[in-house]
Formats: sequence, structure tokens, C-alpha cells
Amino acid sequence: MSRLFVCCLLFIGFSSILHAQSSQLSGRVLLQGVPVPNAMVHVDSTFYTTTDQHGVFTFQAIPYGQYVLYVRHTGLQLFSKRLQLCKAIHYEQDITLAWQLTTLHGIAVHESVSTKKVQESAMNLTIVQSDFIRKNLGGSLMQSLDKLPGVKSIGIGAGNSKPLIRGLGFNQVMVVENGVKHEGQQWGADHGLEIDQFAAGQVEIIKGPASFMYGPDAIGGAIDIKPISLPLAHTMGGTIDLAGKSNNGQWAASGYFYVRTNRWFLTGRFSLSEYGDFRVPADTVHVYSYAVPLYKQHVRNTAGKERNIHLSTGWLGKKLASIFYISRVYNKSGFFANAHGLEPRRVNHNLHDRSSRDIQMPAQEVTHHKIINKTTFNLQQHHIEWQNGFQHNFREEFNHYVNHGYMPPVYPTNRATPATLERSYKKSVFTTALKDEWKVGQHQFTIGANAEWQHNQIDGWSFLIPAFTQWQGGLYVYDKWRVNNQVILHGALRYDLGRIKIEEYADWFPSAIIENGDTSQQYLVRSTAISRRFASLNWSVGISYEPGRVFMKANLGSSFRMPIAKELGANGVNYHYFRYEKGDATLSPERSYQADISLGWKDEKMHITVSPFFNYFPNYIYLNPTSAHDYRYGAGNQVFYYAQSEVVRYGAEMQAQYSFSQQFEATLAAEYLYNEQLSGAKKGYTIPFTPPPSALLSLQYNIPFKQGMKDTYVGVEYRAVAAQNRVVPPERKTPSYQLFGFNAGTAIRCQEQTINIHLQIKNLFNTRYLDHTSFYRLIELPEMGRNIVLSLQVPFTWRKRSEEAKGS
Amino acid sequence: MKMTRKNLSYCVLVFATGMLFACNKDKVETDTTYPTIDLGIAGASPVQCAVVERGKPFVFKAKFSDNKALGSYSLDIHHNFDHHTHSTEVKACEEDAVKVPVTPMLYIKDYAIPAGRREFVATTEIDIPAHVDAGDYHFMIRLTDQEGWQTMRGISIKIK
Repeated sequence: MSRLFVCCLLFIGFSSILHAQSSQLSGRVLLQGVPVPNAMVHVDSTFYTTTDQHGVFTFQAIPYGQYVLYVRHTGLQLFSKRLQLCKAIHYEQDITLAWQLTTLHGIAVHESVSTKKVQESAMNLTIVQSDFIRKNLGGSLMQSLDKLPGVKSIGIGAGNSKPLIRGLGFNQVMVVENGVKHEGQQWGADHGLEIDQFAAGQVEIIKGPASFMYGPDAIGGAIDIKPISLPLAHTMGGTIDLAGKSNNGQWAASGYFYVRTNRWFLTGRFSLSEYGDFRVPADTVHVYSYAVPLYKQHVRNTAGKERNIHLSTGWLGKKLASIFYISRVYNKSGFFANAHGLEPRRVNHNLHDRSSRDIQMPAQEVTHHKIINKTTFNLQQHHIEWQNGFQHNFREEFNHYVNHGYMPPVYPTNRATPATLERSYKKSVFTTALKDEWKVGQHQFTIGANAEWQHNQIDGWSFLIPAFTQWQGGLYVYDKWRVNNQVILHGALRYDLGRIKIEEYADWFPSAIIENGDTSQQYLVRSTAISRRFASLNWSVGISYEPGRVFMKANLGSSFRMPIAKELGANGVNYHYFRYEKGDATLSPERSYQADISLGWKDEKMHITVSPFFNYFPNYIYLNPTSAHDYRYGAGNQVFYYAQSEVVRYGAEMQAQYSFSQQFEATLAAEYLYNEQLSGAKKGYTIPFTPPPSALLSLQYNIPFKQGMKDTYVGVEYRAVAAQNRVVPPERKTPSYQLFGFNAGTAIRCQEQTINIHLQIKNLFNTRYLDHTSFYRLIELPEMGRNIVLSLQVPFTWRKRSEEAKGS
Repeated sequence: MKMTRKNLSYCVLVFATGMLFACNKDKVETDTTYPTIDLGIAGASPVQCAVVERGKPFVFKAKFSDNKALGSYSLDIHHNFDHHTHSTEVKACEEDAVKVPVTPMLYIKDYAIPAGRREFVATTEIDIPAHVDAGDYHFMIRLTDQEGWQTMRGISIKIK
């Protein structure tokens, strides 16, 4: 392995600034014989330009070499082509674009630019487009993505979930939206992501440490959500998305409009959704041994609603482009009323069962605001990108006051915090990131820097996490070296600094503390003021090799993560789990080393990829349950403390697609993961939230209608999930299960528009099963029963473009 | 500097072997069994819907067992005058009307279990003060084993 190291490290430093000869590259872009102005044309990710009124583009000086030429435009299929520049003047024949009518088959992605990016990346990268999300629409973005092997979610209810990549989640997976890290998901398992899935244009999923590009928290992977691509010049139009789900009576509507002059554009999206209590195939569930009857199989009080607004506007010049994204994502949803966490609760069934659509207590309400600006400059060879963002996440959890432990039996009336506010978190985040990409010979360099500052405030009668302030900054350099037509080498180095300042927190009520036989009333300090600094140097080296039908990728890299406030400073009882959680102010930053390989084969009929990985954490941060109980700080609850242990993780994903004929194809996606703690109190045990092995087989028949309809398909799915018997306290073993699904869809051509319709039947046979990584797993709550999902996308366009083009 | 095909296959081989080695590790048998709280033994107390009297000592008795080694236990008596939470037991008890607590009894204490025991009969005397509010209470028993598996029982009792 050392040899690879040496090889690859050398490449990072090796940058010959040879005075290469250069070529003038030009061409013309057409759509149905009409020139396309303002199409984005780029050569690799280095040289950018747009087509003029006559659809013509010109690059003045591109050094000789091998490149990929891309042409992209909203509503049109992406075009890509390999180029060999070796003449002073290189003219590309007319490039003809086609309308984008692609529908994804099974789980494979067929888009050319994305495919190229996936192939050239050394890391395990998966890219899906918005039609994949619409075709597989689930209650939340992560649920819509869980057909991808290695990607799972920690779900709570029908509308909330957070990502789990190869068994790592929470702060170990970074979520990026419109180029800025999404903040606000690290609080606990019962919070989802504040992301509007209709607004996602493309989602990139990196399995494995991606710190060098994304920053410290991407230790387990990253989910990069990109906006819908920009509208064409001189166009105006939009889409309307409608979706309905039978299980929880959900309806969702999302309207999108865009308008663009030559340089200016404006887009807006309004998404609304409401859903009732979800249904499970059970009349009674047992919280411990207490039987909870479910009225009409409804999981009491899991209804919710979403209201989202997105605006984007900007100016797109040849050398400079600046875009603002402004969004507000709001959702309110109830928690299962009969168990708040693990606590069995009695509720007024008459009140709750009166309507399956009302949201009673306990409930959560969250509003997430974002303002992001992305400004790009193209200066000669350099492509510079500067992003600035502000986010505000405000989350409240409502619940009836329950006097746990030493809390007063009756909630005092003189407190400013309302008796129904169990917890609230207010988070403000500023981020800035600057990067520069340029090409020297066959090397494509990227250097970048980013910084983030965040301030967190807390409120409520229940304490879990102290208030804190944190900043983090990083610098990186990345070299992508196209050695020849088949081999691309990657090398990256990143340095990060961070600081966290935790505020002191003391109980608002006194506890009866017995010391030397005397009982005194004390306001216990739950969190002491802590200030910690962290620094880390990380690296990544990789190769992608594509000699023909066979392709191979390998990557080796390190990542790190700063301990979060609760890991350092927690000292209170989490009544969701009846545990006393103790932080450790001396924790070191978590580190991870990972080796990734992808091997594949592709031809006209078959496409197969196998991606094994091996991951080692010298100091994985883990909440360790002990045999002790604590009466003083823990109010009699079991003591859990944050500790660090050596962890080894390995596994593989497999994805295979086979076309039996033009019409009939089969796809198989499978995953396996093994986790083990090699040291510490839980040596030999796994780590929490380890998904069991699973496989998903999809068969699809594409119906070739001659007229009117395109991309018509019907399909069946079979998912087999093994039992998970490797558990760590307080988890429970989860039995195996099998699920069947059905799906169908078509694209109806109606004048110039194409209406996309997708139908899914999830859990076709209404199977009762438990999901090992679900929040409700510990109380044995079955997962959602049969669910019929219908989604419809209707575009509307006033295409002025072609007249403008003719007129000019 | 040119990466040859041979070099490349060498790198791949090293990667692959590394992975294989990692997969061949011996697996340690881990304990995944929860400890149990047995309130079915002779003299066990409190049983579901038990009534205890104020001003009199009350004896807690239960049998704990585990497949490997017990950890510790904790007892907690708190009021349920508002009926907001329920016990973990199947049987429901007759309850008084909902009322506002004035001086409800609150008892929280953790207890050690001698190391290495697979079975342990816990007997503890708890004073029920004469001045506390009468009414519906929960008696929580939390038991762990050495590995940190926890079993909980919440028993509904009445103090009169």
C-alpha cells in the first residue's frame, strides 16, 4: 500500500507548469435545427462559456490535451463528448441537443454528464436526478433515496428522516444544499432534515469520508443537493407537481415558475403538503408489555404539514454570474402520542381519535431560513466560485409538562418558558467558501477555503444539549490529473481548525441531594463552560481507471469530525430513552481512514458495479451504556457516557442491471455492512444503527407505445432484508422481512409539453415489519403499511426563445 | 512520470488483499440478553395495583436475573395524579380522579448488586412518610446487567 501512497502523494506535489500550445475551440449548438442561445458550454470543469444569439460558442485558448466538452441547458438533455485538442483551430460540428425526456430505469442513472462525473471520481459517488426522486417519491427526501444501496434513513413517522450512509448518520454525514452545509440536523434521532424534496434538481451521494471537499463533518459521507438547472434565456414557464399518498392521506403540491431575460432570471417555488396519521398493519402495539390499541390502525398523532418557499434570482454574465437563493422551509409534525421516546404515555384517546389529521402534543415545529449567494468569475484559465450563506434554524418541541426526577410536581406559573415547551433550539449560522479551479497541462487544480460560525441557543423545561458557539475553518488543495485517456489520478490535502465554546447550564429546579446524611436542595450544574480547539490535517488519494468495458476506482482517505456540544458537555437525563447522558470535555476529534474500491463491467446489455470498502476509526465517539444508575445528576436513570473506541467497519454494495431485450430489464441492488468495536467497554459489539444486509430486485417492462406516450413502464420490486442480530445496548434484535412493490409510469406528450405520471404501490401486501434503523424500533412500532403513491408533473412553458433567436 | 498498467494492478491487489485480511477477523461472542425482573416470586412487592400505607415502612422485594452478570438497580416512586403516563404492565388498576399534587412523595435511589451475580433477590425497606399526598403512584424499577442492557418495570401503586 505504501507504494500507492508514495505514487499518489507525489502527484499532488507534481505540477509541471509547461508552456503548452493552445487551441481555439468553437462550435454551434442546435435544437431541432434552431440555434440555442445561452446554453452553458464547458470543457471539463475548467473552461466555461455560453452560446451567443446564433448558438455559437468560442473558447480562445485551451491548451492541447484531452478534454470532455459539455453543453447544458434547462429542459434539454445534457450533451458530452470527448475531445482531443491538437490543432490551433478546432471547430466542433453542429451539436444537436434533445429535449429532456429521460426517465430513470430502475435505480441506474443514465445521464451523460452525471455518468461522466461518477466515472471520473475516485470516490464512491452516486448521482440521481429529480425524476428519480419523483419516481420513487417517499415521505421525505431520504426516504425517496433509500433504494440506493448503502443509503438508508433514520426515520421518524411519515415525513421526517435523516440520512444514514453505510451505517453512519447524524453529524457524521454532511448535507449540503445549494453549495452550503445544511445545519440543524445534529440534535437527535427524532428530527429530520429541513429539505424540500421538490426543490432538489440533482442529488450527489458520496459514500465514505469526503472531508477534503466538504469539511470536517463529512466523515461518513456527504449528500449534496443541487438546485434545478437555470432557465433558458428569453423564456418563461414553470411546472406544477402534485402528489398523493394513500396510507396517511397525504397531498402535496409544488408550483415552480421561472422567467429569464438574456442575463437576468428569477425563479420561485411554493410547496405545500399535509398528511394525516400513518397506518400500520396492526390493531394493537405494545409499549413494553402495555397494550396500546390503535384506532383504525392509525399511529396516533403522527400527522404533519409542510410549507416551503424558495426564491432564486441572479445575473448571468459571460465572465461573472451571481445568484441568490432564499428559502424558508417550515414543518410541523406530531410524535406518536402513546410513547414519547421510550416513555409509555397515556393519552385521551377521544381527543386524539376525533381526527387523524390534527396535530396534538407531543409535536415538533421547525422553521429553517436560508439566504445563499453564489458568485462565479471566469478569469482566463480560472473558474472562481465564492459562496456566502446565512441560515437560521428554529425548532420547538411541544409536550405536556411531566415532572421527571426532581422537577416540581406543578409547573411554576412565574417561569417565562411556557409549560408546553419541552425544548427549543435556535441556531444561526454564517458560512463562506471560496474556491478556484484551473487547469495546467493535464492537471486540474482546485484550491479552496471555507469558514463557518454558528451560535446556538436553547430553551424549554427539559434539558438535553447546552447552548454553544462554534467556528470552523479549512483550507484545501485538490489535483485531478488526467494521466491518459484511461487513467485519472486524484490527490487532495486539507487542513481544518475549529473551536467550540459551550455555555454553562444549571437546572431551573432544585434537586434533593444527600451528602453526609444531610439533604440539601441544589440547583445542579448540568453543563460547565467549556472551550475547546481542534485542528486536523486530512488527505485523500484515488484513481479511476477505465480501459474499456471494465472500470475500476480506488480511493484512500482520511477524515475528521469535531465532537459536538452534547458529546462534550451533556450532563442530563434524556427522558426519551430514560438515560442519563454524560459528556466528556476531553474527547479528541474523531478520525476515520477509509479504503474504497469500485469494480465494474458494462456493455450494451449489462452494467454491474461492486463496491467494497474498509473503514477504520481509531477513536469513534460512542455513547456507552454502563451498568450503573445515578440518583444525583441522573435522577435514578442508567448512566451512559460518551467514550471513544477503535472501530472497524467494512462492507460492500453491489448494483447490477441487465437488459433482456429492448423492453425488459432487471436490476439488483444489494448491500452488506459489518461494524465492530475493537476496544473500550463494548469491545466486540457493533455500533448503533447498523443496517442489516439487504437486496432489492426490480423488474421493469418498458411498453413501446407508438404515439402520444413515451417512457411508459410497469415494474415490480422485491426487497429482502436480513435479520439484524448484532446489536449493542439499548438496541433490540430485528427480524428479517420481505417486501413487494409495484410501479408504473408514463410521459404523455401534450402539444409541446410532457406530463410525467408515476405510480407506486409500496408494501404491496401490507406486511408487518420492523425497520432496524427507525426511531420507533425500540418500542416495536411496525413500519407503514401499504401505500399507494401517485405523482404528476405538468410543465407549462411560454417559449419565446426560438422567436427571439429567429429575430436576431 | 507515467503510471504503468503493472503498477496499477499492483495497487489494486494491495487494496483487495487488505480488505480480505480485514474480513477474516475472529468474531467475539457478545452478550445480547436483557436482565429480567421477576415479581412472581413469593413475597414479591409491590405487585401491580398494590396499596401501601403512609407512615409505615414498605418492603420492596423482587428477583433479578441475568445470563452473565447483573449490574445495578434503581427505584423511583413518583406520583401519577394527572394520569399522564401509564405503567408497563398489562393489567390496568382502578384510579382516583385526576388531582393537583401538593406534597407528592418522590423517592429516587440507586442500589448496587454484588459483582458477578447471575441471580439476586433484592429486598429494600422504603419509608412512606406520613405527610405525603395519598393517591396514584408509579413504582419504577430499573435493572441493568454488566454490559449495560436495561430492563424497566413501571408498577402502578396506590398510597393511602
